[in-house]
Amino acid sequence: MAMLGAITGEQLARAERRLLHPAAGSRIEAAGNYGVDLTLLVEQLRLTPGERARKLEAASTVLERVRGIARRRS
Amino acid sequence: MQFEKAVRTLCDAGVDFVVIGGLSAVFHGSAQVTYDLDICYSRAPANLRQLAAALAPFHPRPRGFSAGLPFVWDEVTLRNSTVFTLQTDIGEIDLLAEVAGLGAFEDVKRNSIIVEAFDRRIATLDLPGLIRAKRAAGREKDLSALAELESILEAENE
Repeated sequence: MAMLGAITGEQLARAERRLLHPAAGSRIEAAGNYGVDLTLLVEQLRLTPGERARKLEAASTVLERVRGIARRRS
Repeated sequence: MQFEKAVRTLCDAGVDFVVIGGLSAVFHGSAQVTYDLDICYSRAPANLRQLAAALAPFHPRPRGFSAGLPFVWDEVTLRNSTVFTLQTDIGEIDLLAEVAGLGAFEDVKRNSIIVEAFDRRIATLDLPGLIRAKRAAGREKDLSALAELESILEAENE
């Protein structure tokens, strides 16, 4: 089975260029118009998949605490 | 959601599973935060036994189930259904025996790749497979994820 790893510097440079300067009529341009923050995707792609997972766990933990506090106050 | 604990538990118990849903999207570069772990699992009898035993210490119960109602978590329960949306001591875990747009576990596995995360090697949907699954699910929240994932695919393509 293939491995999902960090993308190479060259691949990252190409992905950043496409995400930050979307070609007209591209899916990336459509996503930007839809409201996707493409700069967040660039930040994510700079991380390894493992680092993305750790970042999710940290964010999820904080947001669940906030949700818990909000529930108790309402 | 304690993703690390859940994933490590399943891996260490030898459960045959594929990470799908929000965590899979994050592996690929999605910036969306998810609060649950979605997995597709093999319905082979030995795997049902391992899955039941692995999650038992975290007291799984169906989400929204009244506290007073009895619920037995074991391999028989797993055998009698194909979709479980569980609340556990380590967070919300959804178990699916098949995935819309892809098919049963064997089809899901054929559309998966290995990722190193949480100090384990984990099977997760590949990006085209995840996009097909999100498109087939067609829920409001999937549309936004779909826009992200298609952008990543387009950005990464040669």
